Amino acid sequence: MAAHFDTEYQRLEASYSDSPPGEENLLVHIPDGNKSPWHHIENLDLFFQRVYNLHQKNGFTCMLLGEVFELVQLLFVVGFTVFLANCVDYDILFANKFVNHTDSSKVTLPDAFLPVDVCSARIRDNVAVMFVLVISGVFWLHRLIKFIYNVCCYWEIRSFYTNALKMSMGELPYFTWQEVQARIVEIQKEHQICIHKKELTELDIYHRILRFKNYMVAMVNKSLLPVRFCPPLLGEMVFYTRGLKYNFELIFFWGPGSLFKSEWSLKPEYKRGGNRLELAEKLASRILWIGIANLLLCPVILVWQILYAFFSYTEVIKREPGSLGARCWSLYGRCYLRHFNELDHELMSRLSKGYKASSKYMNCFLSPLLTVVAKNVAFFAGSLLAVLIALTIYDEDVLAVEHVLSSITLLGVCITICRSFIPDKHLVYCPEQLLRVILAHIHYMPDHWQGNAHRYETRDQFSQLFQYKAVFILEELISPVVTPFILIFSLRRKSLEIIDFFRNFTVEVVGVGDTCSFAQMDVRQHGHPAWMSEGKTEASIYQQAEDGKTELSLMHFAITNPQWNPPTETTQFISQLKERVQREATGDVHAHTHTLTSLSESEPRSLIANFLAGPPSLASLHLGRDGSLTNQGPVGISDGASGLRSLSINSMRGSYSSTHRSAGHTSSASRAMVGSSTDARTASSGSSAWEGQLTSLVLSEYASTEMSMHALYIHELHKQQSRGELSRHTWHRQDSDDSGDSVTEEGAAGGRGPDPRHPIPRSHTFPVSTPTSIPSSNSGPPPDRGATPGQEEAPPNSQRRHWGNADSVGSDGRGVRLARVPMGGWAEEGQGGRHPDTVPEEGSDDDMPPNIHKVT
Amino acid sequence: MNCRSEVLEVSVEGRQVDEAMLALVHTILLHRSTGKFHYKKEGTYSIGTVGTQDIDCDFIDFSFVRVSSDELDRVIRKAVGEFKDLCCALQDAMGNGTDGMGQISLEFYQKKKSRWPFSDECIPWEVWSIKVNVVNLANEQERQICREKVGEKLGEKVINIVEVINRHEYLPKMPTQSEVDNVFDTSLKDVQPYLYKITFQITDTLGTSVSTTMRRLIKDTLAL
Repeated sequence: MAAHFDTEYQRLEASYSDSPPGEENLLVHIPDGNKSPWHHIENLDLFFQRVYNLHQKNGFTCMLLGEVFELVQLLFVVGFTVFLANCVDYDILFANKFVNHTDSSKVTLPDAFLPVDVCSARIRDNVAVMFVLVISGVFWLHRLIKFIYNVCCYWEIRSFYTNALKMSMGELPYFTWQEVQARIVEIQKEHQICIHKKELTELDIYHRILRFKNYMVAMVNKSLLPVRFCPPLLGEMVFYTRGLKYNFELIFFWGPGSLFKSEWSLKPEYKRGGNRLELAEKLASRILWIGIANLLLCPVILVWQILYAFFSYTEVIKREPGSLGARCWSLYGRCYLRHFNELDHELMSRLSKGYKASSKYMNCFLSPLLTVVAKNVAFFAGSLLAVLIALTIYDEDVLAVEHVLSSITLLGVCITICRSFIPDKHLVYCPEQLLRVILAHIHYMPDHWQGNAHRYETRDQFSQLFQYKAVFILEELISPVVTPFILIFSLRRKSLEIIDFFRNFTVEVVGVGDTCSFAQMDVRQHGHPAWMSEGKTEASIYQQAEDGKTELSLMHFAITNPQWNPPTETTQFISQLKERVQREATGDVHAHTHTLTSLSESEPRSLIANFLAGPPSLASLHLGRDGSLTNQGPVGISDGASGLRSLSINSMRGSYSSTHRSAGHTSSASRAMVGSSTDARTASSGSSAWEGQLTSLVLSEYASTEMSMHALYIHELHKQQSRGELSRHTWHRQDSDDSGDSVTEEGAAGGRGPDPRHPIPRSHTFPVSTPTSIPSSNSGPPPDRGATPGQEEAPPNSQRRHWGNADSVGSDGRGVRLARVPMGGWAEEGQGGRHPDTVPEEGSDDDMPPNIHKVT
Repeated sequence: MNCRSEVLEVSVEGRQVDEAMLALVHTILLHRSTGKFHYKKEGTYSIGTVGTQDIDCDFIDFSFVRVSSDELDRVIRKAVGEFKDLCCALQDAMGNGTDGMGQISLEFYQKKKSRWPFSDECIPWEVWSIKVNVVNLANEQERQICREKVGEKLGEKVINIVEVINRHEYLPKMPTQSEVDNVFDTSLKDVQPYLYKITFQITDTLGTSVSTTMRRLIKDTLAL
């Protein structure tokens, strides 16, 4: 190319003072001419958020239509209310006044409307109505401007999708987010969207989209936000509404004078510990002002909430009155259950999967007293209703009698409500198992729930996460009144803690900006010794994420994003955990092959058997590599497996078989689970039902199943580790009875008595007065990796080998949680090994250096 | 923000401020300038040459290399001069014997054409922040020591700058003729630096802002 131009000598018109003519011919450049406008985007946070939103809203047109309708709805709500209040002559409607029609005696709807001039005069005279109209007018204009601005922005994103990502809007709904994300990562190499790095990782994108949400999750995790209250009479309750959340975000993240300078950086003064008291004072006064503003605006917001709730819910209640008795995940629950770096759609699909089991669980707790009452009320109401209906059928003039129609409606509603208190005849009472299935989906649960699933306390606490829809609506309605007081009296007191939180838990990541350090999911920094990361974590109690959040989030992120390359330490943690889970799965498989296959008759037996069993050679390999494995989890995995078994067998089967076929594919998740691809492939070649369904959707389904398994496993391990005893339950033993191998286990473990009556509650997010006791590893250096090479020659019966291995490891002090070790000794050791760190005192970190450090 | 930021920190005496700043700003600009582009037909271009010039400092034992473009020098001298005046004014206001702090930022940016309702965006891709500590010296001997020390320090900083610039990191792509104004400052006759602006800000030692942030846009086509 260049050579071609070299030959064409041509003198340039421009004059040079400092270069001899002709020299420029030696160096001819071709501009990159990259017309792509997508390089070097200024606000990547917003950009990625918009890309994600557009994907979630299924493309530009859907989003546009949705927003337009929202605007129209707004107009309608206000207009219709004003109309109803001012322009209707209710006397005519209720037939208290007669219309003097000449031709007919029928009253039509338009008769009830007041004439336009009367109407407008009434509106004009009414100051309150004018006030409402003006306020909503301003609000609507604000929304309109925002809408127009959004349309312009999203148009840009739309062209990003079509031009850069090569996805048309029509097919966007059929792409998963992971696919979109993979393409973004790919085009970064070409367009350099982010200039700090040559390559973008999945974590970077997540960090940017979820920057503030991660902070909120962390704050809820560390119980920093005032959402728990103990009002007299009502007992402990959680109050967290959209209004409150909005205010929190306003105060912390984006409102005027918030802690953040821009979307990606905390203000520098908040990163220094020096004048934290001063800053806390400033924050407190800001909270006070915002609280007062809320108080002043309270009437407006309240009116709005009531109107909105009235128009959006009356129709639903009329159509199916039972929906008020239905439950939904509360806002607090969503925050509590959310992993770090979990996008909205991931969370929602997870929670939706747990919905059925959760409502079943809650239905277990119908009060017998209420049931008796409800049964009888329903009986009487039903008989009245039956008579009225029968009369109406006989002669419909009955309807014309005053209040007959309304009493029929009321009785109907009454019966529906009563029916919701009468338990299903075919319901089986098995809360413990249900709770385990729930755990498989929601992944988080305070420790003291396990083994106490049948108790009312557990139910009440679970209902904080999973509340009645009616309660949700009610809370939203009273939120405008309560919010200012929470802000002024509750949040203001926490301002110093908040300042400390943001200082201590903000890290600056190159190419991302300031993020919540928990969201780095670094086990070393924020791991909890009671949650698998003993020996790896260096976190003080203040720095530990509660409820195993760090560990579970890490697993979740690694499983949903198999392409992600975590730092080496993290990789170690993940692979170790995966190996453990797989080993348990393969070890315990014989116990469950029968049950699983019997549940799924249509599936070729060999498939599941092969999958679950895995080639023995592989299992031994894992043992050889990881000497620290102990035999603490046989019960854990049988729990897990039984929990899993109650997951949708169909979806599992589908994903398993299709993952087998994709074993050569990129997913490391599939690699970890499916023992050997060749084995599986030959086994599954018989079933063609799932052929060609190898989509990432199936893979993600598979990933969620795998995550469920890991979550169960981690929880089980944690339970054993912290409780130091294996509490068994009857349903559990029944499960194990299916298999010969598990029976031998039970025999071996039979020395310990089940003791579920003494749970040790130890969750900070579900505070219970009992002090925590977290056994921590005080064992010496990590066991030598090459310590068990002899084990590899062990016979392929994996069950036996596990025992042998556990013995050998137990001797070096690490496998002390081994089932056979007597309880007392372990407990003492566990107590002795308690982490020496304590929560830093308020004043102690006054002159700490800022905790901001660069992470690459 | 989607841009790199580098921070340099120097402590100098009041009268050394402008020379030290000139040295650093010029060094950065030397590496962020090209010769003038001359576009030919069929989308190719050739690059003119850039002369360099050694400058000796009066109050510091130091000389630096700058682009030999008087126009560019004038623009930068003006900005630095204003900064220095502010520094001095601050010191006078605070009384002698106090140390002042100031910061000059040299920001390289790129313009992005937007559709009608929005104005063009200026998107920075690299920001150099030079933090200056102005110290007061008691006697001539200290001044002598300072003179040498600041020279050494500046030498280190220059090497620092060169190291940063030598990394293979994002630079705006070479533009076509129609887009050259979005990437380069083409208003100068003899040299063509990347679009840049210099802003500065004075603070006292407590860190609170004394004068409101002084902003000065050296070059912004929007204003033209």
